[in-house]
Amino acid sequence: MQRRTFLQQLGALGLLGACPAILPQHLAAAPSMVSVKQLPKLKGELTLYLGRGEGGLYENVLDAIKKRNPDFDLKIRRGPTAALANAIVAEAQANVRRAEVFWAVDSGAIGLLTDKGLAQPLPEDLTSQLRPEFRFPNWAPVTGRIRTLAYNTERLKASDIPDSILALAESDLSIAWAPAYASFQSFVTAMRLLIGEQKTINWLKAMNKRAKKYAGELGVVLAAERGEVDLGLANHYYTLRLKSGKPDATVDLAFTNNDAGCLVNASGIVALKQSDTAINFIRYLLTTEVQSYLASEAYEIPLIGDLAPPAGLPALQTISPPKVDLTQLANLRPTLNMMRKAGVL
Amino acid sequence: MLTIENLTIQYDQTKVVDNLNLVLGSDEILMLVGPTGCGKTSILRALAGLIPIESGSIQFGSWTATPKKTIAPEKRNLGMVFQDFALFPHLTVEQNINFRISDKQLADHWINILRIDSLRNAKPDRLSGGQKQRVALARTLAHQPKLILLDEPLSNLDAALKDELRWEIRQALKSAGVPAVWVTHDQDEALSVGDTVGVLREGKLEQLDTPKKCYSNPNNPFVARFLGEASFLAGEKNAETNMVTTLLGETPTFENENVTSKVDLLIRPDDLIIKANEHGVGEVIWARYEGSSRLYAVKLDDESVVKARSPHENQIEPGTRVSLIINTHHPLAAFNKSI
Amino acid sequence: MIRWPISYPFALIVALLAILPVVVLFVLASDSVQFFDAHNLKVLYNTLLLMFMTLIGAVIIGVPLAFLTTYIQLPMQRFWIVLYIAPLAMPSYLGAFTFYAAFGPGGEIKNLIGLSTPSIDGLFGAAIIMSLYTYPFVLLTTRAALSSLDASQVYAARTLGLSLAKSLWRVVLPRIVNGIAAGALLAAMYALSDFGTPAIMGLDTFTRVIYVEYNSFGLAQAAMLSIQLLVVVGLVLFVESRIKGTQEKPSQHLLFFPKPMQLTGMFLSTAPVIILSIILPLAIFFLWLWRDGAGHFDLSIAWNSAHASILAAVVAVILALPLAFAAIAGKLGRLLERIAFVGFGVPGIVMGTALVYVGLQLPFLYQTLGLLVLAYVLRFIPLAVSSIRAKTESLDGSLVNAARVLGANRYEALRRITLPLSMRGIIAGAALVFLESMRELPATLLLGPTGFETLATYLWRVYEAGYFGRAAIPGLLLILISAIALTIMLSGEAGVKTKLTKGPSK
Repeated sequence: MQRRTFLQQLGALGLLGACPAILPQHLAAAPSMVSVKQLPKLKGELTLYLGRGEGGLYENVLDAIKKRNPDFDLKIRRGPTAALANAIVAEAQANVRRAEVFWAVDSGAIGLLTDKGLAQPLPEDLTSQLRPEFRFPNWAPVTGRIRTLAYNTERLKASDIPDSILALAESDLSIAWAPAYASFQSFVTAMRLLIGEQKTINWLKAMNKRAKKYAGELGVVLAAERGEVDLGLANHYYTLRLKSGKPDATVDLAFTNNDAGCLVNASGIVALKQSDTAINFIRYLLTTEVQSYLASEAYEIPLIGDLAPPAGLPALQTISPPKVDLTQLANLRPTLNMMRKAGVL
Repeated sequence: MLTIENLTIQYDQTKVVDNLNLVLGSDEILMLVGPTGCGKTSILRALAGLIPIESGSIQFGSWTATPKKTIAPEKRNLGMVFQDFALFPHLTVEQNINFRISDKQLADHWINILRIDSLRNAKPDRLSGGQKQRVALARTLAHQPKLILLDEPLSNLDAALKDELRWEIRQALKSAGVPAVWVTHDQDEALSVGDTVGVLREGKLEQLDTPKKCYSNPNNPFVARFLGEASFLAGEKNAETNMVTTLLGETPTFENENVTSKVDLLIRPDDLIIKANEHGVGEVIWARYEGSSRLYAVKLDDESVVKARSPHENQIEPGTRVSLIINTHHPLAAFNKSI
Repeated sequence: MIRWPISYPFALIVALLAILPVVVLFVLASDSVQFFDAHNLKVLYNTLLLMFMTLIGAVIIGVPLAFLTTYIQLPMQRFWIVLYIAPLAMPSYLGAFTFYAAFGPGGEIKNLIGLSTPSIDGLFGAAIIMSLYTYPFVLLTTRAALSSLDASQVYAARTLGLSLAKSLWRVVLPRIVNGIAAGALLAAMYALSDFGTPAIMGLDTFTRVIYVEYNSFGLAQAAMLSIQLLVVVGLVLFVESRIKGTQEKPSQHLLFFPKPMQLTGMFLSTAPVIILSIILPLAIFFLWLWRDGAGHFDLSIAWNSAHASILAAVVAVILALPLAFAAIAGKLGRLLERIAFVGFGVPGIVMGTALVYVGLQLPFLYQTLGLLVLAYVLRFIPLAVSSIRAKTESLDGSLVNAARVLGANRYEALRRITLPLSMRGIIAGAALVFLESMRELPATLLLGPTGFETLATYLWRVYEAGYFGRAAIPGLLLILISAIALTIMLSGEAGVKTKLTKGPSK
């Protein structure tokens, strides 16, 4: 608790970044961080499939990149992540490849493409910028998101909330969730990978009795804030964004410990064509400037070097996210079948 | 010349026109008349090429239409005037009349004759019924058809208008020198306007003759009744003298070997003179004031009922005994007694 | 010798085009593992229930409003008609979201004026919202039917002793069943294919399940479910085609002149509909605008929306003409018309996916504006067909006959008589397609050139991200442009001819 307030008082990220001594660091294979000033200018055309829309923030990043590279013609195709992933697969099958880079909201979509062999390998100097647990040969995570329990502060105190996702099923708290949402399905897949199918089904069934469904996790967080439920399962940034718009919002974040409930997932970017332009573009997304910006404005977790997490979130190291291979989260079919069996979907 | 041979028109399984044969001369106005459902409008539509024919043929000018060989309406060189006028609502009167013609003079000619000059720029929805029909006629005539079909053109108009327009149309047709087939259910119209009258019943032509012949010498009681008030008087025909003896006296009839001794004599109300008479042959059962005349129904002593017409001054109350005298010297039609 | 109406070959081509997505679906579904399971049954149940309730709701709202705007002399008639049809301008998912945001504990209504309201969600919530945004279909078709009825039958009934209400019930209603059914059909199919509203209301319908499968890369499964949905759509189409209406040639339809008090009463009773469907979302938009600020908004997005929709409207009307004429010409024609209706029941995401596959087979089409316009056309052509057919059916047959006897061949008669006189229906049809294309979302995201943004897609982005303030300007623009289209559509109607004729007509 205190830590969080402290971090909030520190305010803007820039300050945090400047005070590395305050936060504990892992020192193994320290990732090197790159600034945009060090990057070569981008030239030519690039077609980006953007599987997320943040109403302007990602546009700002992309606009800044465009501004910095006047000879660079970036064509952006926006859409739901799954639709774009499907389109990329279909394009490849018909040999009408248009997509060159794909920025996806969830690693599941990336996994689909890597499984089909459509992802091009990335150079090591690029991947080494990321924290060790986020390094992959043919895709780069961009920003992280952590599964949280968003709880209504008028109804609960932080101490009322169990720190184990399994224990949540046995408590009598009312829950909000969005089973159709990709991140939620990834979380259930992680649970399945960690504790096995049977226990996950049992958990789903138990939770289903006290859970109210919403279309998206924005709705989940809104519900928790309004007091329609005690707490909701959602990605962390929804709560933080809500609070930035409404500082007196009656909602706050809680985390479980070392289980799927605090899974750290990531949005990711993958190159579909071997081209320097594509690779260099990806480099931009991993620069300190872009990562800090995304952390401070979009409340997402930066994954390069040792940049600190957004205000309102404890450092990753203080939470113990489980160890899961993110690309395995693409394997959704068994998860969906499970969720159906439990009557959740 | 229009030649219709063995024309049959069928809807589903019903024959609406059954084996019709008809020839029309080059400037003849033929009135087709008959009760509703007799097939007269169907004949018109078939002539125009708007409905298919089951069997037979229609030949006119250079074309012949048969069930196998249909000729499209636009190729038949006909004109048609519709009951509901069918004026194009989105075009002005002038545009309607000039629909497919480029020579304005033709249109002007008919606009003047039919006196619709002041309406040139009006749209149809502003016109009265009579005006609309004049426009429809002008439109048809301006396109110089070789034959004009009229489908009950006056039935949607007021009675007073009918009379005036009826004659105007006839004049216009004669002036154009175009033959016409005019369908109507109004027998006054049929008798007064046409050169020839065709009486139809259930798809069959009962009689095709001049108006006078149809009226005075109808082929059968149906035609007789259809074309005017008809009463039938029982009588005995003398085949040699061609005289018929009836309760009201003796009178000549047409020579007709098909008609034998026991007959029903056709008597029109105008053929009789009625007078109040205590010793008369019958009793008035009802009287109808018609303005210029009075119509009486008289029940004769043999229980048959006859109608007689009399000038309006001659007022006789129902219940009065009357005498009836046959007032004509020309032959009256006689039919074999039915039942 | 059978003479095929000239419209048949063209109608056939359009019908085949409309079937194309279905064919693609079959191809995609052939990979599918499952055919049907118990979960599907619940989803089917929900879907059918939502459809019926929407249908009933749309009829309950639409029919009385149709009477009100047709048979009653209103001051500023056109304004009222536009107002009641206005909900067509609002994407239903936005309506759903504003409802969600407004009602319930913690909703804006509670926050602003302290009035406690129940939450609107689930089946009833979805049905209410769908009814509010689809009743204009019923309103439009019923109006057309009402205005084509002759008043003399009601007068006859009243002289025979029936009260006005009874006369309307027994003498008018049966004759407009066809008109009502046509509108109800559109409302039902809209309910079947809509995704946004059930999603926000938390109702598990076919479209939602299709979406879930789609998002989990279960493309084959999504296709299979879409085909199942299309079976339901087919049944609905079949039922509707069985309803026959009467063909009448009216001289004058009913018209009432109520007193000001009665008029006010009528307006008040219809006020809740307008408040809920239009004023509420608008108010929420303005609230967000004021609260969050507008942010930077690029007007070229509005232009994109407008010109893609105009293209779709024009193409749809051109393709709809042969279908409408074929439907009047005969049984086969009617079948062809029904086939082309399938598109309206196909969820946007399904249509988009199917056309992506088509586009990939014809690379020059892939990711072009043309493909997107095609998607709009295939989805919304039924709206144009209904409009045109309603107008053309009521045309006097003897007009074409007259033209032909005067020497015009079939084509000339079509061009100079039928088309100009059907113009009102054509414009109305174009306006409807324009409106629907403006608010279409899922297919737009999938098709169209890379970087092509419409008002609808922008709104989606902003809504998903939670930056509601930014939804205000595009939202209001969407409504504004749609309102203009509505007014154009109704300019033809101009107070459906009451024929208080100046000058005798008989």
